[in-house]
Parts: sequence; C-alpha cells; structure tokens
Amino acid sequence: MTWSRIREDFPILNKKVNGKRIVYLDSTATTQKPRQVIDAIVNYYENVNANVHRSVYRLGDEATEAYEGSRKKVADFIGARTEEIVFTRNTTESLNLLSYSLEGTLKQGDKILITSMEHHSNILPWMRLERKGIKLEYVGFDDEGLLDMEDFKRKLTKDVKIVSVTHESNVLGTINPVEEIGKMAKENSSIFIVDAAQSVPHMPFRVNEYYDFVAFSGHKMLGPMGIGVLYGKYDFLDRMEPFNRGGEMIKDVDFHSVVFEDPPLKFEAGTPNVEGAVGLAAAIDYLKSIGMENVRAHEKTLTSMAMKGIDSLKNVIYYGPRDPEKRGGVIAFNVNSGMKIKRSLERENVRVDSLYHSHDIATFLDGYNVYVRSGHHCAEPLARTLGITGTARASFYVYNDEEDVRAFLEALGGIDVHR
Amino acid sequence: MYTDEIMDRYENPVKYGRMDKYDMKIDQASTTCGDKIILYVKLDGNRISDMTWEGEGCILSVVSTDMFCENSIGKEIGEVAGEDEGKYVEDFPISISAGRLSCVLLPLRALKRGIKEK
Repeated sequence: MTWSRIREDFPILNKKVNGKRIVYLDSTATTQKPRQVIDAIVNYYENVNANVHRSVYRLGDEATEAYEGSRKKVADFIGARTEEIVFTRNTTESLNLLSYSLEGTLKQGDKILITSMEHHSNILPWMRLERKGIKLEYVGFDDEGLLDMEDFKRKLTKDVKIVSVTHESNVLGTINPVEEIGKMAKENSSIFIVDAAQSVPHMPFRVNEYYDFVAFSGHKMLGPMGIGVLYGKYDFLDRMEPFNRGGEMIKDVDFHSVVFEDPPLKFEAGTPNVEGAVGLAAAIDYLKSIGMENVRAHEKTLTSMAMKGIDSLKNVIYYGPRDPEKRGGVIAFNVNSGMKIKRSLERENVRVDSLYHSHDIATFLDGYNVYVRSGHHCAEPLARTLGITGTARASFYVYNDEEDVRAFLEALGGIDVHR
Repeated sequence: MYTDEIMDRYENPVKYGRMDKYDMKIDQASTTCGDKIILYVKLDGNRISDMTWEGEGCILSVVSTDMFCENSIGKEIGEVAGEDEGKYVEDFPISISAGRLSCVLLPLRALKRGIKEK
C-alpha cells in the first residue's frame, strides 16, 4: 500500500497554507473526503436526483436504486442484512432514536449501564430517561484507560435493561472488548448497544449475535456529513415504536389510524439524505479498496510512532493504553508548562496544575499547520474522571503518513520547553 | 506563539485575587473549554474603583481578563460594558483566530451579562 499516494485523492489536503502543506490530525472529529466521494455526490445531482420511494418515472426509480443500493453496501460492509440498516443523520441521532423508541419498554427502577468514557451522545439520550425514574450507571476505567471489567460485572445486575458502550473511546483511544461485554449483556437479557462511531471507520467490523444495535456516522469514515447509520436486529426494529413520523414511513393512513411501513423505512420519516447515502457508499468502496485490515495496521504504525516520539519529550503526557493493540489512532495529550501558577478555584474533581490549556496547545500547533482538536471532546465526565478540564488530541487516518507524524512531533517539541 | 508581553502577564497577572467587599461578583464559566473565571467589581457610584478576578483559563482568557480588570479601573461601568466586541478584539495586543475569539471576549461578555442580570 502506498500511503502517500492516498493523500493525493483528497483535494483539501493538497491545499497549502502559508505556502506549506497542512497536517490534518483531527479525523476523530471528522474526516476529509476523497475525490471519489465528492464525484459520487456531484454525479448523483447531475444524473440521478429525484425523490425516492414515491416516484414512478424512470429518474425516480434510479434515485431509489441509488439510495437502496447504498443501504445494501452499508449492510455488506458490516455483515448485516439490508433491512437492518436505518439511515439517520449521525451517531447522535441513531442513539437518540433508540432512547425514544425503547423508552416504552422501560419502567421505573430499571437501569441503563454505560461507561465513564462515553461521548455525550451516548450519555445524554440515556440521562433523559432519569426523569422517568430510570437509573443511569457508569462503569469506570483504570489508570491506563482500560475499562474496569470487574466493575462492569458488579454493575450488570438483573435490573439492567440496556447496556450501551463505546467500541473505541474518542479521547483515550481505548478499544473496548465489546464482544465480551455483549456476551455478558445478552446472558443478562439486557439490550446491547455499540457506539461504533470510532471503530467502524478504523478497523474490520462485523455485527454478531450479541449486538442488538450499532450506531455510526458517515462523516467519520470519508463520507459526507449528515448521514449516519443505525444497525438493529430486525426483530427489535419490527417491534419498536417509530421515532419521527411523517412521509415515507407509512403503509396506510386514515383519519385516526396508521399502519407503519416495515423497517427500516418505519424509522426514516420524510425525504431522506440520498446524496449522503450515495456519498457514504462511495466512501465504503474507497475504504474497501484499501482494506480495513490495512487501515487498522496503518493507524497502529502511525500511533506507535507518535507515542514513541511523545515519550521522548519531557513535558508531554498522553492518556490511554500504552499498547497499540489496545487502542486506536487517537492520542489525547497535555503539555506541562512548568510554571508555578497558583490559581485554584474550589472545583470538584478538577485538579488545577501547571498544564498548558489545550486551546493554547492547539493554537501553537496551528502556527505549524498542524491541526489538532482541543477541549473536552464532548466527553466531560471522562475529563472529570481524569481530573483535567481538557486535552489536545491528535488522530490519524488513511491519508496521514509518517511525514505528518514527524511534523506533529517537531511542532510539539517547540512547546516542550520550560520557560 | 504568544509574545513575551502576553506570557509575562499570564505568569504574573496584576489583578488576580479574590475581593472580599465587592459590589458585583460575576461568575462566568465558558461552556466550551472548561475555563472558569470570576470577576469582582468595586464601584464608586457608577465608576469602577477596582476590579479583580480569580479562576483558571487558557493564556488568552487569563491575559484578556487581567488586562480588562486593570484597564477598567476609573472608568464608568456602563461605558466599559458597552464596548464593542470587534473593537475589543482589535485592541487586544495580538491577533486572534476566529476559533479563539470567545477566549479573549470572556471578561467583556461576563461584565455585559453581569450588568444585565443585576
């Protein structure tokens, strides 16, 4: 695999800022798009566009074929059946759909078990149900960012009706043993949900008997923004209440009664994001042409290189597992400023020390065209567990190469000095 | 990245500290980045006779807040709070990228809100 050639497929990465190449290290937030995806979207609008599932003329058929063909591509990519793939806006909407559509199956005193390393999108939809008297519990993690499986076993009691866990942490990079967790959840008769926003794009992924639902986003896997996926076992989807109601999702409507469509259309009210689905299908083709094993191996190489480089810097600390087998291509870090600044407010769980603020780190690296994310990465309970307000974060994908890692480390070296 | 002037003030702010007898205490937490800064204002009529701050934040919010406190002393509170955001950013000693504007504007926005809620 010639990784530097892959970069050429991404028009935005050929852009120069201040005459120099840009080093995009924020793929955990969103990925750049290859020419093939951009072309697929343009082609859709230039040659295929019409509303889907309701037009009987030729163009309408073609648009429906493009949309449903994209659904099949997504299904094949994760080993699911086509009718088990619901298109949503993103992972957040997929998880909110579950929160609303599963609400009726829960009663006061039931528990929902998640982890302390979840993204807000896998916390807030469940926190919403606390007002119904449903309890939300969190499984902790150890110093290295590995999920505390003993804590999980302890908390997986009979009243836990839903277990929802991130496959890969968007901050720590930790890859959680979702298959093992799913097996235990199913033995406990709990519904098991996988937040796969950071795993489906980065490693081989197949659904299995333990996963009841899987949520992920198109824009984090080279596809466009505004298209997401919810995989659900058909039996569940069939029994569940719809989420939104309106056009497209019905078989028959009378003045006071309605017969809903079968899944997945039951969950896709209104005109769907066809260009998004088509773009996502093109992204999947692109990823398949590289091979997901190769994607994972490439990220492991870059992550190992980056971790080794950081280890040689004096004041940079990073979070998450040290073993590249146990983590994905995302590295959250902070830089110790060495300043003796005493400015402490009494704040629970927040240790005030002499770390540079993550925004200052990101602004500093921006001066070198190195683009990293900063803040709490929509995972505030995680930051609180670590006792920090935020981190800077570098993440890698198919278009990054060793030159990017070198540029990152070199720029980081410039801030790694005590004044 | 930042000038020595900025870094010096970050390390040695001149208006840092809690005020015991204040006329206004404004608790403004920035929602996106965990910065937490509290402003204390002492008034003499409508005039600011002293302003201090405490808390934690990034270099830009700390420096901006410290300068804001120092520069506001002796001025009318309405005039200070009424300052245009664009002008405030323009007057800041270094140029700021769009993504960091809220860091620099933190103290001005805090005072604006404090007055509104008073």
